[in-house]
Amino acid sequence: MPPPAPSPNPNPAPPDAGISRRNFLRTSVVLTTGLAALAASLKPLLDMNDFPTMERFLQKYYKEMTPEDMEKVLKRITDETEKQYGLRPHIRDLKPMDGVEFVYCLNLTRCIGCRKCVHACVAENNQSRNPEIQYIRVLKLPHGSLDLEKAEHDYNPEKVPEKGFFYMPVQCQQCKNPPCVKVCPVHATWQEMEVDSAGKRKGDGITVIDYDWCIGCRYCEAACPYWARRFNFTKPEIPKERLNPDMAYLGNRPRRQGVMEKCHFCIQRTRAGRYPACLEVCPTGARKFGNILDPNSEVSYILSTKRVFIQLKEEMGTSPRFFYYFDV
Amino acid sequence: MNSQTRTRLALTGLILAFLALTTLFLSNWSRRPVRLTTIPLVNTNFLDTATVRRSYADLVRAGEDLSDFDCSVCHEKGKAPPLRYDTNQNLIVPKEHSDIVMGHGRHGRNNNCFNCHNETNLELLQTRDGHAVKFADSPALCGSCHGPTYRDWEAGAHGRISGYWNQKLGTAQRKQCVNCHNPHSPPFPSRPPAPGPHPLRPMTASVEPEPNH
Repeated sequence: MPPPAPSPNPNPAPPDAGISRRNFLRTSVVLTTGLAALAASLKPLLDMNDFPTMERFLQKYYKEMTPEDMEKVLKRITDETEKQYGLRPHIRDLKPMDGVEFVYCLNLTRCIGCRKCVHACVAENNQSRNPEIQYIRVLKLPHGSLDLEKAEHDYNPEKVPEKGFFYMPVQCQQCKNPPCVKVCPVHATWQEMEVDSAGKRKGDGITVIDYDWCIGCRYCEAACPYWARRFNFTKPEIPKERLNPDMAYLGNRPRRQGVMEKCHFCIQRTRAGRYPACLEVCPTGARKFGNILDPNSEVSYILSTKRVFIQLKEEMGTSPRFFYYFDV
Repeated sequence: MNSQTRTRLALTGLILAFLALTTLFLSNWSRRPVRLTTIPLVNTNFLDTATVRRSYADLVRAGEDLSDFDCSVCHEKGKAPPLRYDTNQNLIVPKEHSDIVMGHGRHGRNNNCFNCHNETNLELLQTRDGHAVKFADSPALCGSCHGPTYRDWEAGAHGRISGYWNQKLGTAQRKQCVNCHNPHSPPFPSRPPAPGPHPLRPMTASVEPEPNH
C-alpha cells in the first residue's frame, strides 16, 4: 500500500517560512513586558549615590591589613571625607595600650538627666543629625524601682531633675561576653581582647565595628539586650561646621548608609589617653572612666569601695564593663 | 471552551498583570521616600564642658577681676563685722551681700558666717577647729565637715575630672567643690534638659498605666 498522499491544503504554511504575524506580536509583547519589569527592578541602582570604588571593594579585612595597607586605606578615607565635607580630617588607626582595660562607672545618685552627654557624644562621634542617631539613651525611672518597663526616654520638663525620679543613661555596655559579636556573620564587629595560648589577655575590651566590612544585616542590633546599636537607614547627614576632624578608623570616621554603629568609648580620645566626651561634658561628675588594671584609678576605687549595685541585665550573662553605682 | 482558548486567556491575564506591576513600579508607588521631619541642631550651650561655677583658683589662673575677694575695701581689717539675726534666729543678710542665699545645711543650723569665714581676716576661711584656710584651698575647709565626700573626691570618685585618664600622656584637671556647689547654698542647681530623641516613627508619649490586679 502506497503511503497516503498529503492532503491538499489551500493555504499551506511551510514550517520554515519565518514568523507569523500572531507569533511576532505575542513574542514582542512578552519581551517588552519582561524588559520593562527588569528595568523597574534595577531602577533603585540609579539612586545609589555611594557606589564603592574598586579600592574600597578590594580592601582587606581589618585584622589582615599590614601597616602599609592601613596607610593607604586611611588616605582613601581622608580624601573621601575631604571631598564630601571640605575639611581635611586627621584619621588614625589607634591600637589598644598594653596593660589597659577600660571600665565605665556611672553614679546614679548624681545623674540629673540633663542629656548633655547624649549631644556631646553626637558632636564628638559624627553621628547623623537627621535622621537622628544617638548612642546614649537617658531613661527616667521612678524612685524605688529598677523596672525598665517603667522607664521613659522622651521626658521634657522645664527643669531636671524632677522630684521622685532618677535617671539612668544607657549606652553600649562593652560586654565581656558580647552577644552582638557572636551573631555577626562576617566578623565585622569584634571585641578588642585576645587571649593567647598562655592565657594572657591582650586588649582594652572595646567592642568595635569595621564600617567597611559591615554588610548591614542588623543581626547585632537584634542580639543586643541593651538596644545600644544603631543602623544608618539613610546617608548620614552631618552639617559641615559640626564635623569633628579628629577621627579614628574604628571610631568616629563618617559612616555610610547601610552600616551599624554604636558607642566605642570614644576610641579616638581614650586610646590617646583622654577621657571620653560624655564624661567631659557631664556637669555633675556622675560619669567615671578609667583603667581597671591600674589599682590607683578612679574606677578601681569605685568598684572596690562604693555600692556598685548592678551591671544592667546581669542575668543575660553578658558581663558588661559598664557599672552603675550609688553614692550612699 | 477548548484548551487553546484557555491558554490564550491565561497568557493575556499574565501579560496584563505584568504591565500593571511595571506601571506601579515605574510610578514609584512602592518606594515612597521617607519623609524626614526637620530636626533643629542642638544648641551649643549643651556641648559646653565648662563647670557650673568658677572657683577662686580659676579666676586667679585666668587673671580675672578679683575685687569681689578684696574685703578690706568695705570691712575694717582685723575687726569682726557684727552679725544680726531676726526673731527666729535667722541671719539677716546685709544688703551689700544680697546675692548670697543662706542655704547651707538644714533648719538654719549653719547661720553663722564665721563657721567658715575667718572673723579677723575676712580674706581667709577657717575650719571649725580654727585652722585658717586660703580661698584657693577651699576643699580642705569643705572636707573638715564632709569627710567621706572629701575622701571620695580625693580618690576621684566624687566630682569632675577632665583631661587625660592616662597621666603619662597628659594631665588631668580636678575640679574643686565650689566649681559645682555654691558654698552658701550647696545643692546642685536644676537645669533645663537638652532636647530628647526624635525617633523615625513618633512613639506614644508614655507607657500605659498598669492594670490593677
